[in-house]
Amino acid sequence: MKNMSPRKRNPVECLPLATGSQEKARGDDLASVYDRRLKTYDPAGDNVRKFLDLLAVRINRSLAVSLVACVHCGMCVDSCHYALTHPGDSTMTPVYKADQIRRIFKRRLDWTGRIVPWWVHAATPASDEDLNRLKNIVFGTCSACRRCTLNCPMGVDTASLVRFTRGLLTELGIVPEGVFNVSRDEWETGNQMAVTPLDYLGTLQWMRDDLRTDPKLSGLEIPVVRPDCDFMYTINPREIKFDPRSIAQAAKIFHLAGERWTLPSAGWDQTNFGMYSGDDRLGGYIARNLYEAAVRLRAGRIVISECGHGFRSTRWEGYTWAEYDQNIPSESVVRTLKRYLKEQRIRVDKSKNALPVTFHDSCNIARSGGMTEEPRWVLNEVCSNFQEMHPNRTENYCCTGGGGLLSMAEYRPLRLESAAVKARQLEATGAKLVCTMCHNCVDGLNDVVKHYKLDMKIVQVLELVENALVY
Amino acid sequence: MPTLDVAGKTIALNEEGFMEHPEEWDKAVAVALAEREGGIEELGPEHWAVIEYIRGFYLENELAPMVRKMCQTTGCTLKHIYELFPSGPAKGACKLAGLPKPDGCV
Repeated sequence: MKNMSPRKRNPVECLPLATGSQEKARGDDLASVYDRRLKTYDPAGDNVRKFLDLLAVRINRSLAVSLVACVHCGMCVDSCHYALTHPGDSTMTPVYKADQIRRIFKRRLDWTGRIVPWWVHAATPASDEDLNRLKNIVFGTCSACRRCTLNCPMGVDTASLVRFTRGLLTELGIVPEGVFNVSRDEWETGNQMAVTPLDYLGTLQWMRDDLRTDPKLSGLEIPVVRPDCDFMYTINPREIKFDPRSIAQAAKIFHLAGERWTLPSAGWDQTNFGMYSGDDRLGGYIARNLYEAAVRLRAGRIVISECGHGFRSTRWEGYTWAEYDQNIPSESVVRTLKRYLKEQRIRVDKSKNALPVTFHDSCNIARSGGMTEEPRWVLNEVCSNFQEMHPNRTENYCCTGGGGLLSMAEYRPLRLESAAVKARQLEATGAKLVCTMCHNCVDGLNDVVKHYKLDMKIVQVLELVENALVY
Repeated sequence: MPTLDVAGKTIALNEEGFMEHPEEWDKAVAVALAEREGGIEELGPEHWAVIEYIRGFYLENELAPMVRKMCQTTGCTLKHIYELFPSGPAKGACKLAGLPKPDGCV
């Protein structure tokens, strides 16, 4: 385990704004750039004024409460993995990060900052460099895990302030390149990895044919656009592009449970970078695609594959962004698995998963999604040696890759430094398998395990259930 | 910014170990990247078949191929891809083929 070293100054402050992808997007005449859904940075764009105007327009009551309620008590410091791993560095504390937008709000909109600005540390950004510095703080030093929010005695929602600030900067094209690239692909293709319809169908067919080589699964289907099913299954594009094993596992379990299910032909991407970039318009666009697909197919419900931010954005936030009535129920696939096990629609033998396994709660599912017991119930049914991690449930530490950080390589060294607290927590379980129900957490935890040389393998719930199947 | 020294050349990598300038790639770089990545004893003919397919696809299309195409072109099963490249198709195979980091939740 590496030693934690205190830092004197915020290590990401000086990273410049990378605009290579933005220039290419402008040169390629992308429709989303042309009609200004996807914003690019304009050095002559009067950005500070625009930022301040937008702040005044977008601020709402709950954000304003979070801006004025902070009493600087410091309780959030002990909640944050960045702060815990950088003792003595105030720039790593949640309160410092929130203060960077708070001081602008106070200077412009709050009476205290107009009358006694020196007293409340009110200040406005003076230049685009200041905005870029703000970008590095809100994108690079916070995984938006909301652990500080949960532990704030005043109810200050720092993660919401971070997302709000990200959204203001996104409007000006002042975003990390990785976030820009994914937003571009979502606007242009409707999914975050620019998977074409042909590639989508081709991969599903490949997985179906592969599963059918098992004589007991010869009648298996991976249906697409089948109307009037019990549910419509939605996935993360990485399951198509790089790792379709999870689609195969799900399809096999659904088949053995005798499920009537379908995938849509469009609107199948349940991930949503609007959540990370703070762009509600993008968030609404992606979520609406999915909700409308479910209506078109007259699906009984929407089932969301194992993805933390996909679960939160599809089941909770997306309806607000899309201004869409929630009239079809939605659930995580882990809840679907629980139903199958409870109703004995599938049979399992828990001795097939004998290695000690622990569970990592995804921030977006446990803290922000209210779902903590179903995965534990399922794991206890399919594993013979389950061990709790501490702290757990809504108090669990982030995998350190949340908030879109996996797509922003420039902030990785700080992220891995801050992961020391996660590594210690994992190591203390003594488990060999770390199960999580989020693709992002899989990658985040894999980075932690590799960096801190822990002898652990990261797995997902579908994988363990599939491994325990008896058929 | 991390770098990699290969036969007297200095190769710039991003913070995740992907090449900053994919045009600098050659087979010696792939071998050095494999050593850095760990988990691969030696690049055998099956590794090279996958790497060369990914490389060719990238030069033509400026993006990473779908894992389906990697498998169907090289005759590798999905399971075997993970055996060959323990970090997976994106963070393992594509990295060794000198591609920049693929976009998105990977």
